[in-house]
Amino acid sequence: MAESTEALDQLERELGVRWEALRTARATTERILEELRGNLEDLQDPNCSVIVTGSLGRGEASRDSDADWVLLVDGPTDTGHTRLAREIGRKIHEVVPKEPGATGTFGDIVVSHDLVHYIAGTRDSNINFTRRMLLLAESRAISNPLVRERVIRNVLARYVLHDRAVTSTTTKGRFNTIPYFLLNEVVRYWRTVATDYASKKWERADKGWATRNIKLRFSRKLVFTWGLIASLTAKLFETPTLEHAETEEEHLILLSELIREQTDVSPLELLARVAQQPGVELDTAGRIFGAYDRFIAALSDPDFRRRLESVKFDEAADDQTYESVRGASNDFREGINALFFDQHAELRTLIRRFGVF
Amino acid sequence: MRPVGFSTGALAKGDYRRGLELQRALPRARAVELSALRDHELQPLLDGLGELDLGGLDYVSVHAPSKLGSLSERETFERLAALPEAWPIIVHPCIVHSFAMWRELGPRLCLENMDNRKTTGRNAAELRVLFEQLPEATFCLDVGHARQIDPTMALALLMLHEHGSRLRQLHVSDVGPRGEHQPVRALARWAFARVARLVPESCPLIIESVVPPDRLEPEIEAVLEAFGPMGSGAPGLDASAPPAP
Repeated sequence: MAESTEALDQLERELGVRWEALRTARATTERILEELRGNLEDLQDPNCSVIVTGSLGRGEASRDSDADWVLLVDGPTDTGHTRLAREIGRKIHEVVPKEPGATGTFGDIVVSHDLVHYIAGTRDSNINFTRRMLLLAESRAISNPLVRERVIRNVLARYVLHDRAVTSTTTKGRFNTIPYFLLNEVVRYWRTVATDYASKKWERADKGWATRNIKLRFSRKLVFTWGLIASLTAKLFETPTLEHAETEEEHLILLSELIREQTDVSPLELLARVAQQPGVELDTAGRIFGAYDRFIAALSDPDFRRRLESVKFDEAADDQTYESVRGASNDFREGINALFFDQHAELRTLIRRFGVF
Repeated sequence: MRPVGFSTGALAKGDYRRGLELQRALPRARAVELSALRDHELQPLLDGLGELDLGGLDYVSVHAPSKLGSLSERETFERLAALPEAWPIIVHPCIVHSFAMWRELGPRLCLENMDNRKTTGRNAAELRVLFEQLPEATFCLDVGHARQIDPTMALALLMLHEHGSRLRQLHVSDVGPRGEHQPVRALARWAFARVARLVPESCPLIIESVVPPDRLEPEIEAVLEAFGPMGSGAPGLDASAPPAP
C-alpha cells in the first residue's frame, strides 16, 4: 500500500504549486518497492521481515538510489537466516544495483532483541541506535509487515510504557503525554548523525563529504523533525483513544500505539500535517517543501550527484553545484525554524518546554 | 470465579466426545467450546448432539470450521444454523463471504479476531468493517492472536474499547509464530492481565492451549491468574523492569 500524501497534496493545492521532484520520487519508490516485493516472494519467513530505510523508506528514491535494507528477525534463531539474508541481498541487487553504504549498518541480519533490550546504556551501539531510530522514522517492510509492526511496538513499549514520568498521576485524563525517553533519544539521534558527519569526514579524508553534508542539511534534519513531532503526538493531534484509558498502564499502551501509527507516516507527510495546523503561514510551508523538492530534484540527477561527490571542501564556497543545494538547505532550515519556534501555536511552547532543557 | 473451560479441539482435536470426557474430570471447568475446526467434523457433531452429556456446564459454544473444503459456505451455514439457539457459533471472518446469509444468525454469530496468517479481522479497524456488515454479531476475543501480532496488547485494548459491548467469550492460549496454540506461561499471563479489567466477570474463558491431560488443571490456574477476578494477576507496571543489581 502506498503511503498517504494527503497533507502534502493539500498544501500543493493551497499554494498552487506542484512539487514535481517529490511526486516523481514517490512514484519511483513505489515502483521499486513493488518490484522488490515481487522478487522476494519466495523468501518469506513468518519470523522475518525485510525492511528498507533511507530514501526508499522515506519515499524519496530515484533509480540511482541504493537500497538500505536489513533482514529483521523477531523469533527463534536459525542458521538458515544467513543464507536467507544472502539470497535476499542477491534478489535486491537485481532490482537496485547500487550497493548500500560502507558502514555495515545495512544488508545484514538485525535481531529484534538488540533493538528492544539494548536501548541507551552500555550495551547500545551506534549501529544499533541508528537501526532503531531509522526503523521508527523511515522504514517500510518489503515482506511480512506485521513483524516490523511488532518490533516497533516493542521498541516503543520500552520508550513509553516502561518509562513512566515521576509526575504521573493516578487521575484519569491527567496522565503524562510526553514520552521523555523517546524524546531524548530523538534529540540524541540528531546530534549523533551530526557528529558522525564530522567523524566520517575525518576518517575518509573528505571523500564524499559534500553529499553527506547536504543529506545532513535535508533528509537527516527531516528525520529529526519526524522524531520531535512523533514524540509530541498526543499534544499535536487528536487522540480520542486516550480518553478510554482508566489506568496509567492503559494510557501508556494507547499513547505508545498512537506514536506507532506515526511510524507508518513518511517524515515529509508528518511535517506537512503539522504545517497545516493553526498559526503556520502558508508561505512557510511553501518554503520548507519547495526547498526539499529542490534537494530531491538535485539528488535524482545522476550528473549532479557525480559533481557533488567531487566537490573539494576548501572550494565548496565557490562551487555552484554545492552552493545551489546549500542555498536550498538554508531555506529549508529557515522554514523549519519559523514553523517550530515562531508560528505554530503549540510547538513553540512545547519545544521551549521539552526540547532542550 | 470466571466461567472457564477448554476447547474440545485443544483437548482431543476432532474427537469432541473425548474432549468432553477429559474436561469432565476438571471440577472448575464449567464452560466448553465444541470444536469442528475441519469441515468434515461438523456433521458428526450435529449427529451426536442428542447423546451429548453436557451436565454441569454453564456455557457451551461451537467453533465453526476454519477452512472450507468439502462443504460450501451455504452448507456450512445451514449446518451451523441447526445447532441449539443458545450456543454461540465462533466463526473466523475468512469463511464469511455472503454477509446477508450470515446476518440471519443474529447474535449467535460470534466473530473471532485473527492471527498474523490472515489478512482480515486482526484489529479493531478490520473488525469494524465486518461488524458493519454483521451488526448483530458478537465477538470472541482471542487474546493469543492479539498478542502474537502485538505483544504490548494495545491492539487488544483497542478491540475491547471499540467492540467490547459485543464480547461473548475469550479464546486463551499463547500463540506461536505459525499459529500454534501453546500453554499460557509468564509472559503471556502478564500481557493478558493488561486487558483483564475490560473483560466482564461473566465472560467465559475458553482455553485453547494444547497441553497433556496432567497439565489441564495448572493451565486453568494460569489462565485464572491472568484474568480473574478482574485481572488480579496483573503484575503492575514495574514488574517488567529488570531486577535490581
